[in-house]
Amino acid sequence: MWGNYSYGLLVIMIAAVIAFFALAREHDDLHKLLLIDLVEIISLGIIALLGTDLAEALILPGLTVGIAELLALSQIYCTKERIRAAPVKGLNIEVITKADAPLILSVFLVVYGMVLSGFTGGAVAGLGLVFLFISRSYREELNLLEMASGISWALWIFAFFVFMFLPEYWFIALMGAAIGILLKVTVKMSLVGTMWGENHG
Amino acid sequence: MASIGGIPSYILEFGDELVYFTPYTITLFLLALTFTVLVIISRPERQVDIAFGGDAYRAKEISLSEMRFRRFMAIACGLASMGAMVTGDIFNFTLFTAMVGITNVGIVAAVKSPHVQDAAYQYGLVALSATVPLFAGAAVYAAATGSLSMIELMKGTLPAVPLIAKAMLVIGVVGEGMAPFYAAKAEMFRAPGAPYVIMCSLSSLLIFLRVVEVVLLG
Repeated sequence: MWGNYSYGLLVIMIAAVIAFFALAREHDDLHKLLLIDLVEIISLGIIALLGTDLAEALILPGLTVGIAELLALSQIYCTKERIRAAPVKGLNIEVITKADAPLILSVFLVVYGMVLSGFTGGAVAGLGLVFLFISRSYREELNLLEMASGISWALWIFAFFVFMFLPEYWFIALMGAAIGILLKVTVKMSLVGTMWGENHG
Repeated sequence: MASIGGIPSYILEFGDELVYFTPYTITLFLLALTFTVLVIISRPERQVDIAFGGDAYRAKEISLSEMRFRRFMAIACGLASMGAMVTGDIFNFTLFTAMVGITNVGIVAAVKSPHVQDAAYQYGLVALSATVPLFAGAAVYAAATGSLSMIELMKGTLPAVPLIAKAMLVIGVVGEGMAPFYAAKAEMFRAPGAPYVIMCSLSSLLIFLRVVEVVLLG
């Protein structure tokens, strides 16, 4: 195991050297930020090389911290360069509207996502919803989705408390956590896919 | 079980997330706690510019919302430092360190001065790239010993931690605001608001003191 691991480590270290070299040569602030994002992915790659459940559990917080830092820096960049948000009304992606095909594809993705369940399933099902929202031009009621996201998140957390304090009911907790994360990721992804660029509140 | 920090007097096990207190970490924790309380209750200073060669001076105007945001960030920084002081998990330590890096940027990011914002941005880039050796260090710890628990490392029954893992952990912490990269941070101190700006230095100092203990384990 250690042999394969060190080869992987070598490859990722070469990638890191290339990324840092690019970073050292770059002088534009925005490009530096984009390169930093690449560098961040390398750090996740090193964790992923562990190839265990633990690695999967570590990638998520690592990714979250990376995204948080990236968002903070982008905000500073916008303030620093005095960039104002331009109003955007929806996405101008040309997809045939009101046709049957997007609906069928979305239904397929959502059903497949439910079969997969858990985090991956949520991402797949969310993608299906995003596709439907983008291809249909009418406005959705987003508040309801936000509420569903909140409730499913609470369900997920509740299931974790059952795991910790009432371990003998592990099966109900497992089901609760699986459904909670599936709904939460689905809804959250569809919100992310639909809400960006528009002014809410 | 003896280490630089002394014998752990209290271990709180919460699944595999454990928290422990040694005489060393409790001192650092109390320091972070005291300073966070100080940030919560204190009123910020008003920066006064004195014209060189004359006796003219003027106080800078700072808006309330800006100060509120900075106080919030300083408190978040204090909480992250406290977490880093008491955690018994290598990966949690790196996460808390990364969070200290973000909040350090946040403390000065609300300041409406181009110099300060530019410095905060550059420092943010350094802090973000420092997460690579930081997380890589933690990952190699897990790969070499099979555990991220500091209590397990302290027992000395696990395989030895490779030097490269320790080195990467230290480089990561250094990148979050210590000596050679401190130059990027120095300009940030032109930002007004005494107790909040000092939180930047204090958190870096505390994190560095903790990483010394972490590296000497295992």
